[in-house]
Amino acid sequence: MLRRTFIQWAGLGLAATVLAPSVLSAEEKQKIVSPNAMKFTDALDKVTGGKKVSESSKIKLVAPEIAENGAVVPVKVDVESPMSESDYVKRIHVFASKNANSRCASVELTPANGEAYFATRLKLGGTQDVVAVAELSNGTFITAKQSVKVTIGGCG
Amino acid sequence: MARKSMIKIKPKKYSVGDVVKVDFIVIHPMETGLRKDKKTGNVIPAHYINDIQFFYDDKLVTKMDIWESVSTDPYFSINLKVTKKAELKVVYKDNTGELNEKSTTLKPA
Repeated sequence: MLRRTFIQWAGLGLAATVLAPSVLSAEEKQKIVSPNAMKFTDALDKVTGGKKVSESSKIKLVAPEIAENGAVVPVKVDVESPMSESDYVKRIHVFASKNANSRCASVELTPANGEAYFATRLKLGGTQDVVAVAELSNGTFITAKQSVKVTIGGCG
Repeated sequence: MARKSMIKIKPKKYSVGDVVKVDFIVIHPMETGLRKDKKTGNVIPAHYINDIQFFYDDKLVTKMDIWESVSTDPYFSINLKVTKKAELKVVYKDNTGELNEKSTTLKPA
């Protein structure tokens, strides 16, 4: 009987020592919060000011469907526009919907660009949607998105 | 501190009126501020480029607001309409206030 209780206690103690560090590190992990952290819906609202965003075939977002390395995901945005003084693309925004800070880049264009085009490489923390939003000079917003499957995260 | 950066114009030969691709690459760590040093356990402070401005013939052509989700050694590509022989200057700033610039001359054939 005595031996049994001893084993029980020893087992408990062992479990506690094994569990404790992992619990601690998990708490520490939660403490690191990016000062720029912003959810995708909030970021989108901030950009559009609550206006309606419509999907359009005029905006093309090219991103890989499966990214082996989340640290480098090439993203290309093309918007069909004459880019004249009266009708041009004001801004192109790129979002990663599930990153801690979902904002990636906001590009302010002018008619001097000739064509509305922007390309960059993103870090993606996991499988998520990459969203491009274009603000046209007449105040409307068009969007396109592409789901990217990430096998190794890039925010480790 | 001067950073290594590069501006590439594609295609190599172009004339007035053409729309060329301007590729801009900087060697920069782009730390998110969420990563830990594996040896010391300290958080590596955020260090990323947050503002890039493209000037062509001293006129602001494109302005970018960048956040930490952009990859290490960031690459940006835009289009530009060539109007004359002029300087293309890229001014970039990071969140620690470090200001750098890189310029090249557009020479339409």
